[in-house]
Amino acid sequence: MKVNEYPSPQQSLIAGAHLGAGLGLKAEHLDDILAMPVEETGAGNRLWFEVHTENYFVAGGPRLNYLRSIRENYDLSFHGVGGSLGYDHQSMPEHIKQVKALINEFQPTLISEHAVWSRSGGAYFADLMPLPRTQDALQSLVEGIDRYQTGIGRRILIENPSNYLDFTSEMDEPQFLVEAARRSGCGLLIDINNLYISSKNTGIDAEKYLAQIPADLVGEIHIAGHDPDPELGQTLLIDSHAADIDVPVWALLKHALSLFGHRPVLVERDANIPPFSELMNERAMAQGYLDRCRSHTDLMNAFQMEAR
Amino acid sequence: MALSPYIDAFSVYLRTGDASGMNAFCINDEHIKRMSVYRNGFYKGCIDALSANFPMCEKFSGSESFKNIARIYVDHYPPEKGTLVGYGQNFPDFLSDFIATLEAPPETLKLSPRLVDLARLDYAWLMSLMSADSTQTLTAEKISWLVEGGRDFTQAVVKLNPSVALLQVNIGTFNQWIALKTNLSEAESIDNSDVEGLHKNNSGLERADGALSVDTVMFWRVQGAVQARLLSTPEVSLMQVLQGEGAALERAFDAALALEHDFDVSDVFSACLQNEILEIDMAKYNHDN
Repeated sequence: MKVNEYPSPQQSLIAGAHLGAGLGLKAEHLDDILAMPVEETGAGNRLWFEVHTENYFVAGGPRLNYLRSIRENYDLSFHGVGGSLGYDHQSMPEHIKQVKALINEFQPTLISEHAVWSRSGGAYFADLMPLPRTQDALQSLVEGIDRYQTGIGRRILIENPSNYLDFTSEMDEPQFLVEAARRSGCGLLIDINNLYISSKNTGIDAEKYLAQIPADLVGEIHIAGHDPDPELGQTLLIDSHAADIDVPVWALLKHALSLFGHRPVLVERDANIPPFSELMNERAMAQGYLDRCRSHTDLMNAFQMEAR
Repeated sequence: MALSPYIDAFSVYLRTGDASGMNAFCINDEHIKRMSVYRNGFYKGCIDALSANFPMCEKFSGSESFKNIARIYVDHYPPEKGTLVGYGQNFPDFLSDFIATLEAPPETLKLSPRLVDLARLDYAWLMSLMSADSTQTLTAEKISWLVEGGRDFTQAVVKLNPSVALLQVNIGTFNQWIALKTNLSEAESIDNSDVEGLHKNNSGLERADGALSVDTVMFWRVQGAVQARLLSTPEVSLMQVLQGEGAALERAFDAALALEHDFDVSDVFSACLQNEILEIDMAKYNHDN
């Protein structure tokens, strides 16, 4: 393990402390973003953009140039979806090499991946496959995170998956993720929509789940929309990223912020993409929650100072 | 519990739809059908990527037919790298083999030999779009510098930039591809040279000799946009000499003139400069000074 070579999770949190609510970068919104005046904002409410790292595995061309133009004015988060941290680490070096090259050029503020697997037997399954929460899977995930962090030379955040059914497990998900973070030195990205979906699909208690996550491990939060399964309806919610953020997800975000404090919050939308202005409205809502969280935190800090 | 048997059983399910191996790992037997979310996600991701990478192919065959073909391709050639960028490298060859082996295509598949060339054109366009940026573009200024330094610029070694691709397709397919791309009829597309990103006759060059059995299409990227046009026979010879490591310009010009003695080399060369198609390693000439 080489985790001590990188800044601690706490320092990773500091790196993103100036960020407010961000948006997933979509090609159809580039013109709107570039035409938008860049506002000078205070700490904690700066707009930022997240990209799926693997979408930029290109040698050159306009895709990279667009990203360069965004980077000139905004912080970036690189969110990997194809690293397969949980399994098949033999294929990782080439993947990591490309991630590293992008990190070197774009210097993203945040870097994250998923606590899942997606590669096996020479095939890449192009989706986020769940790991069983066992000691063997935990060890494999920790090794994958370690390889990834060693390869890129930065600590990363790993994201909780969306669960559609329960697999054999030896521990619950918060235990699994926290232990992975403790052993590898990574931080956590808590996807509130994934958690809400998992709670509905598998019956876990979302608030109890959040209470088990140490705030000092959490470096980023995601929120997104979901849809009912076309056949099974509300009994199976799908992490579609194709709809507006649902009311219970907003409520769970508010609760998460009360536990973790101010964290960069990403509004994800990957399908059924609305006009940029609509996404900015959702972003403004998320920023509102963050502002109230910051006011509350500042008030509490002032109160504690006075008490001393 | 060991991880590998779980991953193996999960992988079998994803590849074949046989979930029986997952029974040992699912807590609630009634929920095993929910595994389909993962399999659907896998296929959807791959098929969406193929739709994005082969847009004219999809347009030609129709969305449903294309998805059916794409699904079979995913079964034969699942992605190998942890990204779907550029997925479908084997798709044209797969289509060729698939069409050749089918005696009577099912009604759900709209197949035509033209589909193979359309797929090759789509993929060549994509590769040009994503190719490395050129850092050594040959410009008129560099030519002037060479001439002012007393050099014969026709002896300068130049090569095609990384975005240039030459592709041979059956006659007529390129026009059909452009018609699909521009929503024009094939006849209109032949006459139209003002469509953004699709310069057909920008240097006054004619299309390839009708007597040939194939058309040669050149793709290249300039100012971030991919361009495509048919090459005449002398142009093909000229460009082929400059492929790979490149060659002295004179050799390329001679190759073209050997096929057509009144071929206007200067016109083509100007068009190449204008479209930033050629590269030169100026370090070699700076050293000589």
